[in-house]
Amino acid sequence: MINDKNSQKIVDIIQNWARKQSIWVLAYGTGCGAIEIPPTMTSRYDAERLGVRGAATPRQADVLLITGYLTTKTLKRVIRVYEQMQDPKYVIGFGSCTINGGMYYDSYNTIKVLDKYLPVDVYINGCMPRPESVLAGFGKLQELIGNGEANGATKYKENLEWYRANQKKIIPNWVMPEYNW
Amino acid sequence: MQQLKANLIEHIKTSFKDAREKDYPNENRLDFYVNKQCIPSILTYAKDRLGYIHLSHIAIVDWLEDGEIELIYIIWSPEEKIKMFVRTRVERENSVMPNIDMIWRQANTYEREFREMYGIQFQGLEGEQDFLLEDWDGPPPMRRDFDTEAYADDTFFHRPGREDAQDVREAITKRSGEEIPDFAKKYSR
Ligand code: SF4
Repeated sequence: MINDKNSQKIVDIIQNWARKQSIWVLAYGTGCGAIEIPPTMTSRYDAERLGVRGAATPRQADVLLITGYLTTKTLKRVIRVYEQMQDPKYVIGFGSCTINGGMYYDSYNTIKVLDKYLPVDVYINGCMPRPESVLAGFGKLQELIGNGEANGATKYKENLEWYRANQKKIIPNWVMPEYNW
Repeated sequence: MQQLKANLIEHIKTSFKDAREKDYPNENRLDFYVNKQCIPSILTYAKDRLGYIHLSHIAIVDWLEDGEIELIYIIWSPEEKIKMFVRTRVERENSVMPNIDMIWRQANTYEREFREMYGIQFQGLEGEQDFLLEDWDGPPPMRRDFDTEAYADDTFFHRPGREDAQDVREAITKRSGEEIPDFAKKYSR
């Protein structure tokens, strides 16, 4: 029976195992922390041996890596990018700016807490995080995916109104397409 | 160089009566205060007659205490290798400046930024109203009387700090049994 509970579980386990082996990353590198991505991806730390590699477009990517601060202007783009990504999708917040505003805690134009606007699965702290911690963050994400706990996208879908209300609070001119997943 | 500089000062003083020289010891730098109406004509004059063909920068200073904003046009002559600073002041309230983007096209970018960040209007300036900020409805954010922290507090969410307010250095020494050197103690809480 394809629909009974146990066989669904087995399918999930296989699915999760497969998903965690190949993480394609769309790096949204407007923050200064993005400078740690090239060493992570290239031969020194070689993230590709862990199945982590760059993706060209949102529709090909699994992970949205947000490196550092987002202004209200870039947040708009990031929301759009996130909503274009296909399931399964995950978000990694990278650097203290995404966690609590970091050194821009009193800036008039940057958001301070990313998880009020997008569902963050893993945070990597540090200003800026070294490639080792970036890899540790990806390791953590793989672990969460393997256990089926990285469910940010479901959270976003289920609480879309709450996220939208927060987003619209700082983006008053809302001219974005509505996606109907 | 001295001679050249004296010549330039002479030139400018005869053509622009209200130009006040600001003394500056550096010998490859000229410094003038002028009236804001003179700005386009003095810059055109410097560009066409004196060889100051390059606009290096436009700087801006907010003199909150004087109720004025100072604009500094920094221009450079590649032949004479002398910088010229042309300063002017404009009142903070309803500030209007003459536009100079027909003299140097790139001044347009500076002026749009000043319009957005300092709320200075430039006469006949073209270009989108929004430049770096989008959907901004607060006061011009770079003015000194704008309280960024208060604005950020009521616009954005903040994550509350840790309740234990733990000192990271102490936590690490406790864990590894290592001594904090004396000079570092004064930085600990
Ligand atoms: S956390 Fe630090 S390195 Fe990263 S974007 Fe913020 S200020 Fe830059």
